Amino acid sequence: MNSGIVFDIREFAVHDGPGIRTTVFLKGCPLACTWCHNPEGQSVEPQVIRSPAGERLAGTVYSAAELAGYLNLQAEILRNAEGGVTFSGGEPLLQTDFVAEVIDLLENIHVVLDTSGYGTEQDFRSLIGRSDLILFDLKLVDRRMHLQYTGCENDPILKNLQVLSASGKPFIIRVPLVPGVTDTDRNLGDIARAVQGLPGLERVDLLPYNRAAGAKYRSIGRDFKPDYDETQPLNINIRIFEQLGIEVRVA
Amino acid sequence: MNERMARLKSKIKEGGFRPFRQTAAIDVLTECEAEQLSWPRRVARLVRRQCESETVVIDPDEKIVFTRTRAGVPGIYTPQEWSRLTEGRTLHELGPISNICADWGLLLSQGLRGRKQVALATRQRLAGDPEAREFLDCAIETIDAVLELAARYAGTAREHGRDDLARILEQVPSGRPRSFHEALQSLRICQAVVWLGGNYHVGLGRFDQYMWPYLEADLAAGRLGMQEAEELLAEFFLSLNKDSDLYPGVQQGDNGQSLTLGGVRRDGSTALNELTRMVLRVARDLAVIDPKINLRISSETDLELLCLATELTRQGLGFPQYSNDEIVIPGLLAHGYDLEDARDYAVAACWEFLIPGRGMEVVNSGAVSFPAAVDQAIRAGLEAKSDFEAILVGVGSNIQAQVQSLADDYSRLLLPPAPYYSIFMHDCLEQGYDLSRGLKYNNLGIHGAGSANAADALAAVQEFVFEVGSVQAQDLLTALDNNFNGQEPLRQKLKEDGPKVGWNDPRADLLLVRLFDDFATACEHYGRNARAGILRPGTGSAMYYLWLASGHEGMREPVVGATADGRMRGEAFSANLAPSPGVRVRGPISVLQSFAKIDYRRVCNGGPITMELSDTVFRDPESIRKVAMLVRTFARLGCQQLQLNSLSLATLLDARAHPEQYKNLIVRVWGWSGYFCELAPEYQEQIMARHYYEMN
Repeated sequence: MNSGIVFDIREFAVHDGPGIRTTVFLKGCPLACTWCHNPEGQSVEPQVIRSPAGERLAGTVYSAAELAGYLNLQAEILRNAEGGVTFSGGEPLLQTDFVAEVIDLLENIHVVLDTSGYGTEQDFRSLIGRSDLILFDLKLVDRRMHLQYTGCENDPILKNLQVLSASGKPFIIRVPLVPGVTDTDRNLGDIARAVQGLPGLERVDLLPYNRAAGAKYRSIGRDFKPDYDETQPLNINIRIFEQLGIEVRVA
Repeated sequence: MNERMARLKSKIKEGGFRPFRQTAAIDVLTECEAEQLSWPRRVARLVRRQCESETVVIDPDEKIVFTRTRAGVPGIYTPQEWSRLTEGRTLHELGPISNICADWGLLLSQGLRGRKQVALATRQRLAGDPEAREFLDCAIETIDAVLELAARYAGTAREHGRDDLARILEQVPSGRPRSFHEALQSLRICQAVVWLGGNYHVGLGRFDQYMWPYLEADLAAGRLGMQEAEELLAEFFLSLNKDSDLYPGVQQGDNGQSLTLGGVRRDGSTALNELTRMVLRVARDLAVIDPKINLRISSETDLELLCLATELTRQGLGFPQYSNDEIVIPGLLAHGYDLEDARDYAVAACWEFLIPGRGMEVVNSGAVSFPAAVDQAIRAGLEAKSDFEAILVGVGSNIQAQVQSLADDYSRLLLPPAPYYSIFMHDCLEQGYDLSRGLKYNNLGIHGAGSANAADALAAVQEFVFEVGSVQAQDLLTALDNNFNGQEPLRQKLKEDGPKVGWNDPRADLLLVRLFDDFATACEHYGRNARAGILRPGTGSAMYYLWLASGHEGMREPVVGATADGRMRGEAFSANLAPSPGVRVRGPISVLQSFAKIDYRRVCNGGPITMELSDTVFRDPESIRKVAMLVRTFARLGCQQLQLNSLSLATLLDARAHPEQYKNLIVRVWGWSGYFCELAPEYQEQIMARHYYEMN
């Protein structure tokens, strides 16, 4: 039996896929995006969150059976409400065996995988094969910039995007629009060309930057130091996608 | 909203009708004394003089008139006589009958003249019965007073060149309405006069049932378009907000002008009609505090209707409140209601179920304090070194003692006569008796307050003292006595690690279920009340969630200090059905699953599961639909009642002041959500600024 570490579970997550969903946030992420809004999801270790509301420990270890047992108690409700379970993070691929075992134990529940795509091809195949819909984050196509802003190469991500499109699974591309970084016409154009015509692509969701991105850092004892100008107006250029016949939404 | 309606709305909001008010109360007492009038006659005289003293107000923008110009309700007894009259008796709240629901269909289908004919016929038949005769004389006196008031309004309308209004007021409330417009006007005057006579929490009942025939006929005949109909309805709703600052209540807005929509008819067929939807639309667009709206639903209710209702929730007014017919009706049946009546239920001021025109029920006669029952049993049990089952038995006896004391108190209940209100009740005029003598249903409703905290306290004791053994009984007793002073680790353990209601965790939920079962058993054990009704246990808390924690004048229940769930002295208890304040939950699914376990067939006085959703889940049609599905989930799980609130700026401000009470408050920012209280202050500011912006 695998066990895994989870930093939060939230019911009625209305923005994490179709219908009424319960989202499991897996702790630990290989990327370190400078705009990350879930800093408590980055480390694989439990962390104390301190705020005026009191203290709590983010990071609970579950066995696969425990977590699946809790989710199965809601199976009928989630099914009836056209929803299911979403695995988010952090990065679920970092705990592939655990997530895979949980999914295998679920009783006929629709599964959404919310992933950065950063992981081994084997892990990626393992999880997308068990999911019904994939929310695939695509941040920067330029390799150098990707390394600069996330601390990682994007080769595995772009490779897994191809794996995904070949798998036939439906997926939605999610692009966080960060001013001056990901929202440039050049990057959006690169993304549009990278996803254009991919089988399984349902649409592209643009997630406009919000200056509350840094709000959680203090509660885990860190400073938020964006290496971009937060105050710069966003370039929400949906035409780049529309011109290529790609359905696009601003979330 | 057109210009006329916008003018009316802002005039009402800004108190533009208040300058017409005469603050000095009229004197009714002197003549009552001089004529040595009986109590019923004094009440009738009061209603008559109040009507006579009203100044006619006709605003050029109004199509539905009546503005209350007498602010106060004068006394009809000297204080000395009043104490003599009420000595040894229990008065409910302020005294006058309140928080019941007329069958306004009686008014509309017969007109006041028709009701008067009934009274006259009964008077002739019961000529030898002085009490019946007196009651009927009183009822007739009040009918005449309202007719005279309406005639003065009609006359003034003519003088102002408002023949349109005059024609309506010459027809109603005297006769049967010939149109939707006349039906609304008739109800406006007649309902306002109930308030004028000192009765309060005057409910509007099943509005979409008794009003629909008039709208339906107008629409079918092409006399009225949908838009005009909506405008009239909006004006009627606005009129309910004109005098509401004069109504008694715990807080401004707590005035019980509730109406009920949907559900099934007396024959079991669906009660939904175009007016049901129209009320939801108009209430959504108006966004005013009155009327409060209740929607009866079932697991089969159309998602489209629930979406429309969700759009109303989005306005942040805290309604509609949902009642689940599949649970409420069987619960009423199990408590002795006839099937047709059970299907005909409406919701009272807060959440209690009432049969319009057939219930003289005191649905809020007090509250069982679960925290007190549990706290006393835990302390006694731990001191006596009893086992956990013995503590539970102690809880049951304590609840029974509370029910006994409350019901004994209400066996001395004194209800003042209400001849005018009786006109709109079944059988009063027909059989010659006042509403205060009782109607078909004369039950007493009792709230069950602080249930989640009480269950959590029991669960903590069971878990830590009896099963795991990590807390010593004596240490817990000392900590409770000292309000956890110097015992912070123990308090944290009880508060954070114990099983909690709202987690769908049987360790806490089964104790919650047992509390309500004990409550129901105690009510059943008591049997009939002095007014030949039963006791109805409920799940509401009303204001007791605060009062039980910090005390309140005239309250029978003891203030409860620190409790075994880690709650410190003075902290509020859970409101209605909600997890204990400060308990972290995973979300609405687990909460609904916890509360679905209560046996509502035995607990049928009402009391909603209360939930607050961030306004960000109401932003787009897709999310609205998800909220609607959540409401349907509530019904499918077999819960009884639900109150959904959309988060408001006021809540955010309160969360800043009391972050420990708002651990579950989630706000959405960017493509993600966060716990509001954990965000850095400047970000909270930003979110609040955004909420504020959206509200204006």
